[in-house]
Amino acid sequence: MTLAHTLVYVIDDEMSMRKAIGRLLESDGYSVELFAGARELLGRAPHGGPSCAIVDLNLPEFNGLDLQRALAESGRVEQLIFITGGGSVPTCAQAMKAGAIDYLPKPFRDEDLLRAVEQALVRASEQWVKSSQRKEVRARLATLTPREFEVLKLVIAGMLNKQIAARLGTTEATIKVHRGRVMEKMGVKSVAELVVLAQRAGIAFESADNTKV
Amino acid sequence: MTAISVAAIAALELLGMHAQSPEQFGRLIWWAHIPVFFLIASIVGFVRLYFNAGRLWLGYAVCSLRLLDLIINFFSVPNVNYREITGLRHVTTLGGETISLVQGVENPWVRVSELSSLLFLMFVLDASVSLWRRGHPGERRRAMIVGGSMIFFILVAAGTSALIEAGVMQSPYLISFSFLAIVVAMSYELSLDVVRAAQLARKLQTSEAALRESEQHMGLAASAAELAMWMWDITRDELWTTDKGRALFGFAQSEKISFDRFLNVVHLEDRDAVRQAVAEAVHGAGEYESEYRVVLPGGQARWIAGRGRVEFNGGKPVRMRGVSLDITWRKQAELEAARQRDELAHLSRVALLGELSGSLAHELNQPLGAIVTNAGAALRFLARDAMSREKLREILEDIVAEGRRAGEVIRGIKGMAEKKDSFRQLVSLNDVIIGVIRLTRSDALVHDCTIVSELHPMLPKVEANVVQLQQVFLNLILNAFEASQDVPKAQRQIIIRTERVGDATVLASVSDFGPGLPAEAPERVFDQFYSTKKEGMGIGLCIAESIASAHGGALFTQNAKGGGAQFFFQLPAVNEVDL
Repeated sequence: MTLAHTLVYVIDDEMSMRKAIGRLLESDGYSVELFAGARELLGRAPHGGPSCAIVDLNLPEFNGLDLQRALAESGRVEQLIFITGGGSVPTCAQAMKAGAIDYLPKPFRDEDLLRAVEQALVRASEQWVKSSQRKEVRARLATLTPREFEVLKLVIAGMLNKQIAARLGTTEATIKVHRGRVMEKMGVKSVAELVVLAQRAGIAFESADNTKV
Repeated sequence: MTAISVAAIAALELLGMHAQSPEQFGRLIWWAHIPVFFLIASIVGFVRLYFNAGRLWLGYAVCSLRLLDLIINFFSVPNVNYREITGLRHVTTLGGETISLVQGVENPWVRVSELSSLLFLMFVLDASVSLWRRGHPGERRRAMIVGGSMIFFILVAAGTSALIEAGVMQSPYLISFSFLAIVVAMSYELSLDVVRAAQLARKLQTSEAALRESEQHMGLAASAAELAMWMWDITRDELWTTDKGRALFGFAQSEKISFDRFLNVVHLEDRDAVRQAVAEAVHGAGEYESEYRVVLPGGQARWIAGRGRVEFNGGKPVRMRGVSLDITWRKQAELEAARQRDELAHLSRVALLGELSGSLAHELNQPLGAIVTNAGAALRFLARDAMSREKLREILEDIVAEGRRAGEVIRGIKGMAEKKDSFRQLVSLNDVIIGVIRLTRSDALVHDCTIVSELHPMLPKVEANVVQLQQVFLNLILNAFEASQDVPKAQRQIIIRTERVGDATVLASVSDFGPGLPAEAPERVFDQFYSTKKEGMGIGLCIAESIASAHGGALFTQNAKGGGAQFFFQLPAVNEVDL
């Protein structure tokens, strides 16, 4: 799977500042998009790849914290780096608690900003990878029949064919056939691989204890 | 002269009575015309001068005829009365004395003498009547006594002499008695005048004493009040002043003082103002008033308050009188008070800056951040050798612009923090307000307030201390932010307006939509140590008001109709045309 193109948003009502940040990021090879206000960012369709946003906290009308809240409410994940001309400690703490990558008072050192951007993009990429893998696993899972899905859940719980057959009230041979189909559809060769995939997909597998009940 | 003439006539009459021959008698009559001339002339003069009445031409006619009579008499033998004296008769009087009486032929020229006497009578009569008509009691009495007696005795004298000469009356000439009576009447009047003059002199003396006393009182009051009195004779350009005045201005005791000499001791900086104040008083206003410094010979300065009034003569200024007072102490106290006010203003300004510091930091950090980031970007581009000259220029231009902006922010607050002597200059109130709005922009963001400015485009300038005006507006705007804290976001608006009121005043107002001022006594916000805020000191508005009044303006407040507080800052406008 290829890593998608990264993008950095810069949101500051001061044109000079957002231009300067844009140049700094370009000098380090990033793609940048500039916005004068937070609402403009919300109006843009999500980028098809890892992204992060550098946001001035003291924006008029709709400030950085408002943006953070609005993103959370809409379920959109965006790594945020806050910059400020002179914010207070409480707003800083609030921003960090809500999951911001960093909080940089102006004037900041360019290394600090670039490091924060790098960190944000790493996190964004991880998330991007995770979410794309999850999407793939889910697509494969969708090809399984309900019976096969039942069998998969019990296989990754560590049950033997005989145990599964007893549990589902069928013969061991039938389970063997189901198990072969699941392995084939999911594109794995071992139970260990299957467990990893299921984890990625976020399938809660029943513990071995449950099987005894 | 009247008395001497009467005496001479009497003597001649006496000699006539004892004359042994007609020639001798005629000679005596001849001689008698000389004192008679002087007698008549002197009475005419007396009436004219003393009554201040009588027709002048009549007086001249009387005297001229008398003179003519005298001249004719001079060439007549034996005299103008008789062409010929035929003899003497000797008559024994009641007392047993034998006297001589004349007998002779009448000279026709004697009519001149008689005409003169007639005119003389008319003259006195006319003078007495006009004197009587003036109606003043003293003058009526004079007309009665002197005029009346003159008329009566002239009639008697003329009558008797005519009768004697006609030979009807066997009597010696006795003109002298009649005229003696006139002299008595005259001297009675004159003596009354002497008495009156003495009384007047006494009165004058008392009033002079009173005047001296009041002068002394005035001098005492003046010296007690440390007042120097002066008088400037404008036509001769001479200044007179009391000893106190000489001491006050540092003039030597005997030195002559002209206006220029006076200006010479006035402090160089105040000289034009004094010259102008004097010129205004002399050329119309009439009243002079000024406060200025004089430099004493020792070099130290002294504050003087001068006040004077010009006296005009037919529209022309002739002199100016006035007083001067040493007000050095008062001035020092005033300067001290002003200094303390400035100090307090400075302290409260520093406190205001403290409130603003977050905002100011933001205003500075913004351009500094842009500069640092731009420079960092440029360095990175250079390191990668991936920058066009065009791009580099763009970045550098931005850096320069942001550097300038940071400088402006610092200039904007520099005066606020500095402790400077208050000096005033012509400023545009709009510019001051725009500057303060810029300073408070970040605060407005933090408080979620919008500032709306409605500034009059043709606002006249004001003469003011810029920093102190900034302080007033800063105070009002920060208060408005705080007042807006507890109202819904949509209501957090501050309106700043400037307008002109007539030609002489500019008015600025700062309005918010907060809860407004305490309804019962909104003006209490200007009281010292009164505050509606929890952490307020109660100093800001008090000082803002003292700044306003020090500029000849005013700061007042009211609750707006739609809610919220309104503050008005009024200042005297400077008319550009006057400059």
